Amino acid sequence: MKTPREILFVRHQNATPKLDTIRREVLKSEFQNEPSIPFYLNLPLMFWRELIFPCRRIWTGLAAVWIFIFIINFSQHDKSEMMARKSPPPSPEMILAFRQQELLLAELIGQNEPRDAEPPKIFSPRPSSERRFEILTA
Amino acid sequence: MLAVAEREQLPVQQARDGNPAAWDVLFRRYQLPLYVYVFELARNEQASLDIVQETFIAAVKHIGGLRDDEKFGSWLFGIAHQKVIQLWRKHSGKEILFDEIPETPDEFENSPDDLLIRSEQETEFMNLLNQLPLPQRSVLLLHFVEDFSLEEIARIMETQLGTVKSRLHYAKKALRKLIEEKK
Repeated sequence: MKTPREILFVRHQNATPKLDTIRREVLKSEFQNEPSIPFYLNLPLMFWRELIFPCRRIWTGLAAVWIFIFIINFSQHDKSEMMARKSPPPSPEMILAFRQQELLLAELIGQNEPRDAEPPKIFSPRPSSERRFEILTA
Repeated sequence: MLAVAEREQLPVQQARDGNPAAWDVLFRRYQLPLYVYVFELARNEQASLDIVQETFIAAVKHIGGLRDDEKFGSWLFGIAHQKVIQLWRKHSGKEILFDEIPETPDEFENSPDDLLIRSEQETEFMNLLNQLPLPQRSVLLLHFVEDFSLEEIARIMETQLGTVKSRLHYAKKALRKLIEEKK
């Protein structure tokens, strides 16, 4: 009496030499060349294998979102520049009218004559006792 | 014979660190069970050897994707299973019916070693195994070859637990019937 596992394994035991060859070949191809690669050169590959590749869908999604944001941003930036370029410079009439309005506004407020600025006080160092006397007499 | 029910201490962490000796231990441990599983599904020696080789290469490359070291075996079989499905699709050009409605049996079973087959029934056992639909055969092989739990089989096949229970139940029932008929 045999278990199904025993029956299956015995039937395929002949494949073991071929499987041994495959195992050795895989180990040779995957590990023999690796030590000769300097660590700093292997780093991007490791980075790719460990970080990027396992979550490739997420990274692709993120990249797509960023590309979309950049496109939107870039197209809006272009529009504002174009609008600025398209708007014509103000005509001399417009400038004259604007100045007149400014003058009228200044007259209405009463600030058409500029005030004389208060002259700055000249500071002369004095003993602090004299300063106190000055305050008292004031 | 390998006692698969026992949980072994496998050098998975060392393999993660890129130790070739650790990979050698892991590959030695799984090469024959993987081959048996793949061959009994693919029924082609060269294609099965190729799948085992591709599975080993993929395992070395994607070991970072394995979350739990304890589940190395089922993870490896999961890779092989996907490759068998790809091969099947490539050759038959049709989808395999993996989504039949599960009918979960109430009672549940036992170890794969409970089923004992006499030497004169071996050929019939293999014939019956080959007659089973691919999804049922796949579940039964995973159960026999590695004694994976139902949850592990569901994960390997990327299917629901109820479906796995159902498939295993009916496949074992068919085998038992054969054994009893021949007594």
